[in-house]
Amino acid sequence: MQFFQNLKIDLIGKRNIAYVVSGVLILIGLISLVIQGGPRYGIDFTGGTSLHLAFEKSISAEQIRESLTDIGLADAEIKQMGTAEENEIMIRVEQQHEGAETAGLVETELGNDLSDNPYEIISVQEVGPKIGGELRRAAIMAVLISLLGILIYISWRFEFKFAVGAVAALFHDVLITLGIFSLLNLEISLAVVAAFLTIVGYSLNDTIVVYDRIRENMKTLRRETFPNLVNISLNQTISRTVITSVTTLFVLLVLFLFGGQVIHDFSFAMIVGVVIGTYSSIFVASPIVLEWELRSDPKKRSGRKSR
Amino acid sequence: MQRKHVTRLIFIVALIILAVVSLYPTFQLGDLQEKESELFSELNAMTGLSQVQLTDALVTGELANLVRKNVSADSQEIALETADNLIELNQKIDKVSAKAIRQGLDLRGGTYLVYETDLPELLQDLAKNPDGRLEEIIQESRQAVESEGVDFFVALEQSFEKRDLAMNRYFGRKGETPDEIIRDLKLEAEDAIDRTLEVLRNRINQFGVSEPSITKQGDRRIEIQLAGIQNIQRAKRLIGQTALLEFRLVKEADMVWSILDDIDRVLRSQRAGKEILDDVETETDTTFEEGEVADESEVSLEELFGDQDTMSEEEDTTVVVDEKTFSEKPFTSLLRRLSGQANYIAVPAKNLNAVQRIIQLPEVQDVIPNDTEFVFGRWPINFNEQEFHKLYLLNKEPELLGKMLTDASVQISGGDASLTAGNPQVQMELNNEGAKIFARVTGMNVGRQLAVVLDGKVASAPNIDEKIPTGSAVIRGSFSMDEAKDLALVLRAGALPAPVYAITENTVGPSLGRDSVQRGQLSAVIGLALVVVFMVIYYRASGLVADFALLLNILFVFAVMAGFHATLTLPGIAGIILTVGMAVDANVLIFERIREELRGGKTVQAALDSGYGRAFTTILDANVTTLITAIVLYSFGTGPIQGFALTLSIGIVASMFTAIVVTRLVFELVLARYKIKTLSI
Repeated sequence: MQFFQNLKIDLIGKRNIAYVVSGVLILIGLISLVIQGGPRYGIDFTGGTSLHLAFEKSISAEQIRESLTDIGLADAEIKQMGTAEENEIMIRVEQQHEGAETAGLVETELGNDLSDNPYEIISVQEVGPKIGGELRRAAIMAVLISLLGILIYISWRFEFKFAVGAVAALFHDVLITLGIFSLLNLEISLAVVAAFLTIVGYSLNDTIVVYDRIRENMKTLRRETFPNLVNISLNQTISRTVITSVTTLFVLLVLFLFGGQVIHDFSFAMIVGVVIGTYSSIFVASPIVLEWELRSDPKKRSGRKSR
Repeated sequence: MQRKHVTRLIFIVALIILAVVSLYPTFQLGDLQEKESELFSELNAMTGLSQVQLTDALVTGELANLVRKNVSADSQEIALETADNLIELNQKIDKVSAKAIRQGLDLRGGTYLVYETDLPELLQDLAKNPDGRLEEIIQESRQAVESEGVDFFVALEQSFEKRDLAMNRYFGRKGETPDEIIRDLKLEAEDAIDRTLEVLRNRINQFGVSEPSITKQGDRRIEIQLAGIQNIQRAKRLIGQTALLEFRLVKEADMVWSILDDIDRVLRSQRAGKEILDDVETETDTTFEEGEVADESEVSLEELFGDQDTMSEEEDTTVVVDEKTFSEKPFTSLLRRLSGQANYIAVPAKNLNAVQRIIQLPEVQDVIPNDTEFVFGRWPINFNEQEFHKLYLLNKEPELLGKMLTDASVQISGGDASLTAGNPQVQMELNNEGAKIFARVTGMNVGRQLAVVLDGKVASAPNIDEKIPTGSAVIRGSFSMDEAKDLALVLRAGALPAPVYAITENTVGPSLGRDSVQRGQLSAVIGLALVVVFMVIYYRASGLVADFALLLNILFVFAVMAGFHATLTLPGIAGIILTVGMAVDANVLIFERIREELRGGKTVQAALDSGYGRAFTTILDANVTTLITAIVLYSFGTGPIQGFALTLSIGIVASMFTAIVVTRLVFELVLARYKIKTLSI
């Protein structure tokens, strides 16, 4: 079985459409980010407390708020989770002061006030503001260092302009995914940052396969114009690109549907990232190398006629 | 078969065997744990004890005793045999689990805590002659660390430089350069964190948690993982206690009264005091409005601080202050004196804040003699449904330190002390040196009170009735049995060199853990099945080969994890599932290439050769970049992210091996055996 055989799609000729599409997507994301006042960080990064509790009997958010008011946490965010019969409650407190003690206070208070309705802890997370700030810095450092590493590796294996194309594609992917998260008002947790970095790795994987073919064809197809050469390379690799994306999407969709709420956002970020990463390796990374080549070497411009 | 095929085959088979061997303990562990829980439920049926009680006893080695006590005579033999089996099985599980893949807390439930030692506090303790200026410098450095994330020692050095103050005024010796001093301080801090680690390990081991993991993280943090622990709050209280134990003499009543008078006088004349008292007045006004009994608001000072017997308990409980008295005696009117025990002053909970602030005022500090200080009681006491905090005036210099302590245990107190009769108390034994000092101190101070101070708060202050030569001392207080047990335990395990505080806590309940495992397994199986089926449909027989490589890949990932005794977390499972999706990529690249070559008219063997040959560099380049991000993730991430990065990295390396080496060998073997003309691809 084969989906693609001897394809001759003029992918490069459509690059201007792709530029518009990418530009619009990035712009929408950025506008959303500006309106929302930046990405919505989870408590991993801001510090704070979240408790997920399962009560034995039904309980209302008001009952919990009443109890929390006694310990000065009247403005906690209280959400019903799961189905109505499960009596699961999520409590979120933004924490301003050092020392992770809020969770203990809440547990004791609820235990005393609602002693006729005992609860089971599903999960408790408490992050001090200091460690939150550290994690934010570490996450930014991680993204920058991996970009630098990639830039160096690709410059060494290929040429600098390929590295720039690849890194631009990565920024493209992360910006759009971030924009989509902002549009859907989803939280950026530590797991989502991990997903972003994996997207970086994945999208790059795709891009490099195409680059490799371009490099190889530069040696064998000397008579082709550069745009043609890029187009041929893209067509030669597209079936691999699509098949790998499909298998990866299979498992990510399964994770998204059956993996449970803990990795829900993670798998969602990955799905978005894989789709956009696949698109960007075809329509962003290689066209950037092409534009660079055309501008630095006007002789190759003649190749534009061939489209 | 060609020779190179044979060597490769042997190599791959050997790897597979190695993988299976390294995974064996993990399989074994599952069986053993199942048997263990069977034994637990048998014991539970026979003794009626809960699993928590049984586990605690198992860890502390008291299981046989506990079972004997809780079982009727006729079934004792069987029960004891079961207990023996359980102990034996438990030892075996310990041995096996040291070689198995560990399940992360997010999969089996438990608490993950990160503690940080209070470095600034430690330095303050290390300083010679600490004063206000040093305090300022340390505060400033603390803030710089928090707001800018700079290194504490760098901030400290800058702070000293800014003030043009020589560091060896407080630290190190004369003539030492700041660099040398900082180096020494860093060593001290390192030593402190090592000691902290040791003390915490001691405490947690005695608390009876199975398989606790306590590790250093960075240069001042300690990461603690407690699997399946039931009472997180108690564990946290226990872990965080500093347990600095001192015995200090309580000042005589006469001296206390005269200092209280002095404070009243200072406050009357000081503006700063008035500001605080203004706040207090508002508080007391409110109390009036709330309609507290008016008579009690006019308690005179004679009644307040006169003979204790003239006061009834009802009057003691009033927090309200008479305004006239208040203006004359601004400080003492905030205090109460409770009857019943020896001389002590108490602060109603409502007034606690104001009293603390007044004591801190520099003018007030001036009238308190340099060798004494006010110290609050460790536990609040309840008196007629009102909460009070005791207040003591103590010698600053301790008579005796907790390091002379050799043992601590819990007892139930006798009937002599009226308030604490029948309460748990902590009995301490001192070493020879301590016993000598204790005998001398108690001998010289009969009739006075000796305060037992724990972490800067008075745990109890019994009267010295006679000289105590035996080196035994008792801490009394209104605490529960659990509190007494933990106090004894903390005293036995020793003091922390500096306070620690939890900076992050992550608790996963057992139900979520179970749920995560089930969902993780389900998604892994479904995802794997989808990919396997897709590959066979798309590449036919060659797809089967790729599927074989994929399964081997998963086997190798788990084997490497078991080999390193790594921890499998939920993100780790996600990493493996993601690897499944991406692992076939190398084979997809190769197969697509082979198809191309076949279309170009090459023979099967030639197509295979150039397919593998040409795809290799692509696969290498593509995977190295993913590996770069995985390694960065691993080095910058914490717990869960590291788990993800680790499994992803192992997956990438393993998939390159299986996809390139293993599949190629399969093709070569088939080609050598059967002369095939067309490849099923």
